[in-house]
Amino acid sequence: MLRTTIAQGPAPTVFLAGEMDLDCADTLREAVAEAARGAQMVVLDFADVEFIDSSGTGIFVRLCLDMKSQSTPLLARNLSPAVRGVFEMLRVPELVGEDVFQS
Amino acid sequence: MVDAAAGSPVSLQVYRYTPGDSTVRPVIGEIEDALPQDDLVAHAAEALTSGTFMCYAVSQDDDFVADELCFVPQGDHCDILNIRTNGWQRHHGDHRRSLVEILNNLAAAVACGKLRVLDAAQVAAETAAGKEVFHFDISGSAELTAAREAVDDELRAAGIDDATRKRTTLCISEAVTNMLLHGGGHGGMTLRRLHDRLRVVVADHGSGLNFLNWMEPPKAKGQASMGYGFKIILDYLDAVGLSTGPDGTTLLLDRITTN
Repeated sequence: MLRTTIAQGPAPTVFLAGEMDLDCADTLREAVAEAARGAQMVVLDFADVEFIDSSGTGIFVRLCLDMKSQSTPLLARNLSPAVRGVFEMLRVPELVGEDVFQS
Repeated sequence: MVDAAAGSPVSLQVYRYTPGDSTVRPVIGEIEDALPQDDLVAHAAEALTSGTFMCYAVSQDDDFVADELCFVPQGDHCDILNIRTNGWQRHHGDHRRSLVEILNNLAAAVACGKLRVLDAAQVAAETAAGKEVFHFDISGSAELTAAREAVDDELRAAGIDDATRKRTTLCISEAVTNMLLHGGGHGGMTLRRLHDRLRVVVADHGSGLNFLNWMEPPKAKGQASMGYGFKIILDYLDAVGLSTGPDGTTLLLDRITTN
């Protein structure tokens, strides 16, 4: 199960924790929509994501592309090793743009 | 016999030749009328005799994209992979992976021995091999999580290192997710212990993986193409077995536990 915590501010951040699989779409979308109100961007923090599969990755990719088209881009930071490995394997930076990932 | 792949943008069908037979038989999909049985038998026999993987490009009328016929010797038989692209082009920038690339990955996995395509007799034998450790009936994400965690516990007990364990549970998740999304929405996952490996059997009674037409994207919101899951499974596991047809799909996912 995916858990989210939102830190509002000039660059609102959604802290993600737990598991991102086929069940995470609604939780992720709702949290990002709430954080995006009045914001110019939203940051996703992956530090506490313990597991992600291709369904969770696909949901993130689609959300990234949707938010970019709405001119409220998503940024991703603190990729846990589990997330980094899957994103690299599935070439996620090529799909959403290298600029999505904060070092 | 119908041409099952007619009109489909991309398809994979698998046939099998056993020495002594005068024809090849379908393992995935159907034999297309236009395929010359005599030539298939001759090439398969040659591949078996020489112990060599052989691949032929097959031109189609009015189509500059060559399709592929791959002959893969498998010990006592030869598998024949028929990949038709029907002019389908790679989609750069598309967030779905190229369907052609997915099928070529599958073919490469068969050629190098990572993926075995199983017929009914093989499925029956291999899903009964070893000893059952546990079984889950799965119809949703809650059972998926429970099954994933149970496999993780068993891998840990078997002394599998952390990185390999995580990759294995990722593969289990991919296989079960494919079952939920494409295999009729429910099925079973069984962990079996063999002398040299742990084997996870993921089986459903859906209408079979849609190898015959992968044009349609998944309909469920927010879901990625199934091609991602297969790439992960083939890259990360030690051995994979696959059977799919109108009566369902069975995947064998093996993690070697002995060095």
